[in-house]
Amino acid sequence: MSRKVAIVGVGMQKFARRKEETLNEMIFEVTKDALDNAGLTRDAINAVVLGNAVDAFCGIHNSAKLAVEGCGGLMKPMMMNSTSGSTAVSLPILGYTHVASGLYDVVMVIAYEKMSENLSPQAVFNTVYDEVYIKPMGLNVPLQCGLEARRYLYKYGLTEVQMAKVSVKNRGNALSNPYAQMPMKITVGDVLNSPYISWPVKLLDTSPVTDGARAIIFASEDVAREITDDPIWVRGVGRGANSCYFIGRRLDDLGRLDYAYLAAKQAYDMAGIKNPRAEIDYAELYDPFTYKEMQHCEAFGLCEEGGAGRMIDEGISLKEGKLPVNASGGLQGEGNPIAAGMSRLCWCYKMIKREAGACQVPKEVNTAIANGWGGMYQYSAAMIIGRD
Amino acid sequence: MGRRVAIIGIGLTNLEEREDLSHKELLFQATRSALTDAGISRDDIGSAFTTSYDFLEGRSLSNQYTLDSIGGVMKPCDLRLGEDGIYGICAGYMEVMSKPSDIVVVGSVQKASERREKEDAFQKIILASLDPVFNRPVCNTVPVSGLEYALAAMEARAYMTRYGITEEQTVKIAAKNYKNALKNPRVRNAKKISIKDIQNSEVLSWPIKRLEVARMTDAACVLVLASEEVAKRFTDKPVWITGVGWCSGTSYIESRDLSSSPYIRAAAQHAYHMAGIKHPAKEVDVAELYDVYAYKELKYYEALGFCGDGEAGKLIDEGVTELGGSLPVNPSGGILGEGNAVGTSGLIRAANAAYQIRGEAGDFQVPGAEIAVAQGWGGMPTYCGGVVVLSRW
Repeated sequence: MSRKVAIVGVGMQKFARRKEETLNEMIFEVTKDALDNAGLTRDAINAVVLGNAVDAFCGIHNSAKLAVEGCGGLMKPMMMNSTSGSTAVSLPILGYTHVASGLYDVVMVIAYEKMSENLSPQAVFNTVYDEVYIKPMGLNVPLQCGLEARRYLYKYGLTEVQMAKVSVKNRGNALSNPYAQMPMKITVGDVLNSPYISWPVKLLDTSPVTDGARAIIFASEDVAREITDDPIWVRGVGRGANSCYFIGRRLDDLGRLDYAYLAAKQAYDMAGIKNPRAEIDYAELYDPFTYKEMQHCEAFGLCEEGGAGRMIDEGISLKEGKLPVNASGGLQGEGNPIAAGMSRLCWCYKMIKREAGACQVPKEVNTAIANGWGGMYQYSAAMIIGRD
Repeated sequence: MGRRVAIIGIGLTNLEEREDLSHKELLFQATRSALTDAGISRDDIGSAFTTSYDFLEGRSLSNQYTLDSIGGVMKPCDLRLGEDGIYGICAGYMEVMSKPSDIVVVGSVQKASERREKEDAFQKIILASLDPVFNRPVCNTVPVSGLEYALAAMEARAYMTRYGITEEQTVKIAAKNYKNALKNPRVRNAKKISIKDIQNSEVLSWPIKRLEVARMTDAACVLVLASEEVAKRFTDKPVWITGVGWCSGTSYIESRDLSSSPYIRAAAQHAYHMAGIKHPAKEVDVAELYDVYAYKELKYYEALGFCGDGEAGKLIDEGVTELGGSLPVNPSGGILGEGNAVGTSGLIRAANAAYQIRGEAGDFQVPGAEIAVAQGWGGMPTYCGGVVVLSRW
């Protein structure tokens, strides 16, 4: 039978260019922080799960293997997982199955990305495209997001101003986040006047390239109850994946993230949540582009389909709103080290524990959801955590 | 724990260069035959795991293009492990045990024929996987075309010197596996290779000779894993996964004990403990090991507890691990015989072991095999690997 699993600690560090540090040094910092946060020592860790999105960013083949020492995984079971951006949550889900399956009691999960080692992350990203059909068309990440955003805005009658409001909210929230790379006090006008990257997506609709890592420690019920009076349980996990070919997708509508709806359904079914808007207290959603946060609000049922514009207009997702989203600043404000977007889940944990410092939302948080998104605009993964 | 996991479908392509097929098509073929073998349709698949290495595929996020081939479109998940295929079974096992899915597909594909041999592509990738601060600058002093062999030779030399293993014994391992491969219909270009041929083949880096290193091959392999209830519904010949284990040792070459394989020892101990195996040498009926280099098979005999430390040479001298012996190892021909589909080879080892348990291994069947061990390794220059125990009961 599947066992109950709790999160007992998280490790954080500032997102910044870390060119002077090796992978091991960068990862050691969050490992140590997580162990301290959980009140554990390295010996307590039974297994380690490591993941990044793209090895080519740091130029090391099989880079997880070079971080064995830094993550406390020496002579322990270590597994590397990657689903690109959605590694942010698919990785902790793999950590969850390590414990839920009954195989291990305490598992350290570390997501990392070192993007400053290359001259152009976009050039690296271009190595992901299919060489037969897609590369010859000249598609790249910004073009693809322009296509998707355009279709999304058109389909639901949303506006660039609403996108800009998400940017203002998240960059502003990051001002209280000590780990944030680029907090900014800006206005909707600033966003609208920033240069287009790929219409309708503008520079201030995107998230900055950075280096960093995050760690989460998962524990079985017995262990969790031993080390804390207030374990935060994994209540639901969900994943969805669609074909890598835009042209071959069944429902063929870029504006609607069918795979994210699938991940949401799986996670909510497992958590027994019927009405997310009432039952979810807080959300950290993957927002590499502003419209992505809006799409994810809809897919994960935090507003009705097409209602993300109204949600931001009415201030529901603001820090002091009814259902705050990304009070930490999200990827927009905190920085976007692709896989280390696992930060979203770390912040959910901190919000529930009321350890979020200046980022803490005023309302009480018992149940929170985090998601990750990635691949060829094709993967979504979500985890719901909370108290019983 | 109550819940058990079985392999209910096996799909394995031929091991040969396929320039006419893309890696997606090759993986699709393996998926198709695994689903047919299991008697399930694409809709039954709960989730999918693939294993691949980005640099070897020549593409970042290399998993995204396997999704369509493996029946994972609009499914709860597709997870890529940047590991050898054997890890896929471990992850699939945990997935079924923790219940998000009842049926998990584990697949891997390798198209070695797309790499440019002449430009030392593979050797350059090995260089790229070394620690860039301490190890890479040292290895940069070795001509890149011989890097892999130089690293292997250090390990082989350390091991052979410590335990008095002879070059005759490593040659015997290669000869055994080449001979076994002649009986394996999936190896399309198996040739008769004699002990003399191996001894006389070019020395790549002493003591490693050309025919003691597995050649590259294309292949795809897919296994269908299912929970006990589901397995019993679909097959009367489930192959139970009774033990899994994996482990990583240090990434720095200078910190390693090159004469042993502590990571496989630890992985095996975990897997054996789960499977309730106390005396592997007596209880295991057949094993499929990761013999990319001939000396590796000997080292792994010891790590897997088939003999004491330093006694592996005796096992091959006495014919214990020959096809007719009491503990046949690599009856399929192993990686030396089949060819090395890097990243997929571990999964192929498990597939061959599963065929043995089912009694469907054809000419290379070990009679009455009930407990089989399959082992994978991360490949040069890693110091990590996994072990899976399969059982008929």
